[in-house]
Amino acid sequence: MATLFKSLAVFLEKVEATKKRLEIIAIAADFLKSLDAEDVEPAVSLILGRAFPKWSQKTLDVSWTTLSGVLQRITDVDWSVFHEAFAHTGDVGAAAKALFEKTNVQRQTLLQDETLTILEVRRLLDAIASATGAGSREKKERLITTLLSQASPVEVKYLVKIFIGEMRTGMHEGLMEQAVALAFNVPLAAVQKASMTLGDIAEVAAMAKVGGKAQLEQLGFQVFRPVKLMLAQSADDVAEVLAQHGGKTAFEYKYDGARVQIHKRGGDVRVFSRRLTDVTRSLPEVVKAVKANVNASEAILEGEVIAVDHGGRPIPFQHLMRRFKRIREVQDTAEEIPVALYLFDMLYLNGESLISLPYVQRRRILAENAGGIPLTKQVITDRKEEAEAFLKEAIDSGHEGLMAKKLDSPYTPGARGKRWFKIKPVLEPLDLVITAAEYGYGRRHEWLSDYYLAARDAVTGEFLNVGKTFKGLTDAEMAEMTKRLKALAVHEERNRVFVLPRIVVEVTYNEIQKSPKYKSGMALRFARISRIREDKTAEEADTIEKIKHIYEQQFAKKGKYKTE
Amino acid sequence: MFKLKVSDAKLLRDMVTAISILVDEATFKIEPEGLKLRAMDPSRVAMIDFEWPKTVFEEYVCEAPSKMCINISELLRLLKRAGKDEAVELSLDEKTGRLQIKITGKYSRNFNMPTLEASEEEVPTPKITFNVKAKATTQGLSQAIEDAQLVSDHVRIEADTEKLVLNATGDLMGATITLQKGSDALLDLEVKENSKATFSLSYLAEIIKAASATSDIATLEFSTDMPIKIDFQQTKEGKLTFFLAPRIESE
Repeated sequence: MATLFKSLAVFLEKVEATKKRLEIIAIAADFLKSLDAEDVEPAVSLILGRAFPKWSQKTLDVSWTTLSGVLQRITDVDWSVFHEAFAHTGDVGAAAKALFEKTNVQRQTLLQDETLTILEVRRLLDAIASATGAGSREKKERLITTLLSQASPVEVKYLVKIFIGEMRTGMHEGLMEQAVALAFNVPLAAVQKASMTLGDIAEVAAMAKVGGKAQLEQLGFQVFRPVKLMLAQSADDVAEVLAQHGGKTAFEYKYDGARVQIHKRGGDVRVFSRRLTDVTRSLPEVVKAVKANVNASEAILEGEVIAVDHGGRPIPFQHLMRRFKRIREVQDTAEEIPVALYLFDMLYLNGESLISLPYVQRRRILAENAGGIPLTKQVITDRKEEAEAFLKEAIDSGHEGLMAKKLDSPYTPGARGKRWFKIKPVLEPLDLVITAAEYGYGRRHEWLSDYYLAARDAVTGEFLNVGKTFKGLTDAEMAEMTKRLKALAVHEERNRVFVLPRIVVEVTYNEIQKSPKYKSGMALRFARISRIREDKTAEEADTIEKIKHIYEQQFAKKGKYKTE
Repeated sequence: MFKLKVSDAKLLRDMVTAISILVDEATFKIEPEGLKLRAMDPSRVAMIDFEWPKTVFEEYVCEAPSKMCINISELLRLLKRAGKDEAVELSLDEKTGRLQIKITGKYSRNFNMPTLEASEEEVPTPKITFNVKAKATTQGLSQAIEDAQLVSDHVRIEADTEKLVLNATGDLMGATITLQKGSDALLDLEVKENSKATFSLSYLAEIIKAASATSDIATLEFSTDMPIKIDFQQTKEGKLTFFLAPRIESE
């Protein structure tokens, strides 16, 4: 029997009600066990706030204006009910639920009776994503109206959360991996490994249900299905890295650009961003370079794309990000802002996965297959002085710092560990999410120019404020930001506008302090926005845990200075 | 082998526009006696039932019954390139599975587009006992709907033996539009039982607007809180009928 979406909503209510990890894993495992095979992938995706499997390039593309308009029309309740509930809970889904509880919803009936199962929800979300071209907004509105008017208040709460992509239930991928292992009696390590390879726990769950451990172990790469990126930890200096890696390490320039994963099969090349979205059309030069230089019939490569001026010198990252946003005007932008590609890793070659090979060996294979495409500049050394000189050289040439890669390290997709370090000389900037903004004064009174900055709580998924700033953006950027924030606005109080947590900005600061002012307990001093991270989702923003770690490090250093 | 030709592109374009209101991918049934399409919109709120007998076309060739699925908005984009009084020829290239679109007039153009996997879903006709049957001009109907749209996003349609009334209530404003039996707009009205039902204007307005281009007279059939059937009488032979499910207060 197909499972009702209502069961999923009721399950999420239970998750939200508990803070205990083991309890969440246990009830999630029970829920997964109750599902039919065909329900598993959609259910897991929806639980994690994704309308579609992670590799899918489909997007709902529904604005808050559209969604709130539909909520208002079908409930016909005064919008103050929404604001009151939002002010009380801070949760858009809960506020939408309050609207539905206050009304006899005028229900749109169907010509053919359908119960709102998990699969029916997926079918409607698919139809919403497919509505494109002329009249698509009306089509999307009609579909959302149909979907929401079939739903009970508790279902509406989670449907709205799925639309805005923030669940706030406390259920995250790590817990889901454990729940999948428990539900389908598969070792956790096998689930985690499969999840890294496929990049999507929802699909892994479906496979575990059908084929168990045996099927998970057979998984391999597929060209044109992006693989999660291996991530690096921050290190304070060269000495720390050399100590951690115990001897020789590969130091490479850390370019101020955008990381890309490039897939090639025959004459087809596709480029994925670090968000694993397809950016092929934004980067025609990359496609051209790979076609012309890489002879392998099948390959998955990684590299960094940087914006350069006409003399080939690197220019700031923001210029490059404009390319990802404006796909339609690529030709123009390509002439305006040329890019350069530097490769640094190879994951797959002609049917063979390379990820368990040591880094130096992968790099050698890459060099043999890269043709004329340059590799990232590299020095392998165990000498502190040589590494420090190389770091200085990188900074002097306009780059961000260095990467340091352990020579024998395998490529571990999706994992952040000590095998790869990044060394940036200044107090490391943070990627934070804008959760609210205020109108400024004087010249800035028409702009949302004072921004509340939040970090992610990795456990609950909640965004907690750590600071506020009006510094860093140009007038033009501020005007643009005002437009974007207004489209994300869910609630207004005096001159403050609360927004959906979507926009990620890189923030520099002088110091981190403990502060009772914010729920997070942490506050940034002299925060300043250094750039807008179009390439990062809110899910990838920095965490409160990381901020606490930096705080402690900074404290340790200060202590040391005193004793010296 | 399948091929059809119309001497005036407008005929084909208006019909495809009416279909595009509800479906993105349309599976046509190609039969020796004509072309048929019956499809529900993805939300299953509305349905289109369309038939064009071969007599409508200047030329129509179908050797064996088959199905063809195409992306309607893409086809529409191509058809919009045809001017008034230009001829359009559609033919299916069975080797490549592509639809050839040939527009001839001032000059000639050949487009081609892929066909998609045909849907196997059979859409049944809703079985409803209708208590009201009203025959109206599409012009009168379009005007009435535009009036209602000014104040609300839904409209209640009511009928008694004398008149058809459209009632729209919005947040601030309301509208009542009355069509008297025998007036210029309402040509005929048969009522077995007084009835009323509410419909989303977002569907209703678009359907009526698009279908009016193909028809002067529409027949509405409905009953209390049941789907409405709207049949647009075609100037040549053929059939264009829509069904639309109502909105009802829950509980």
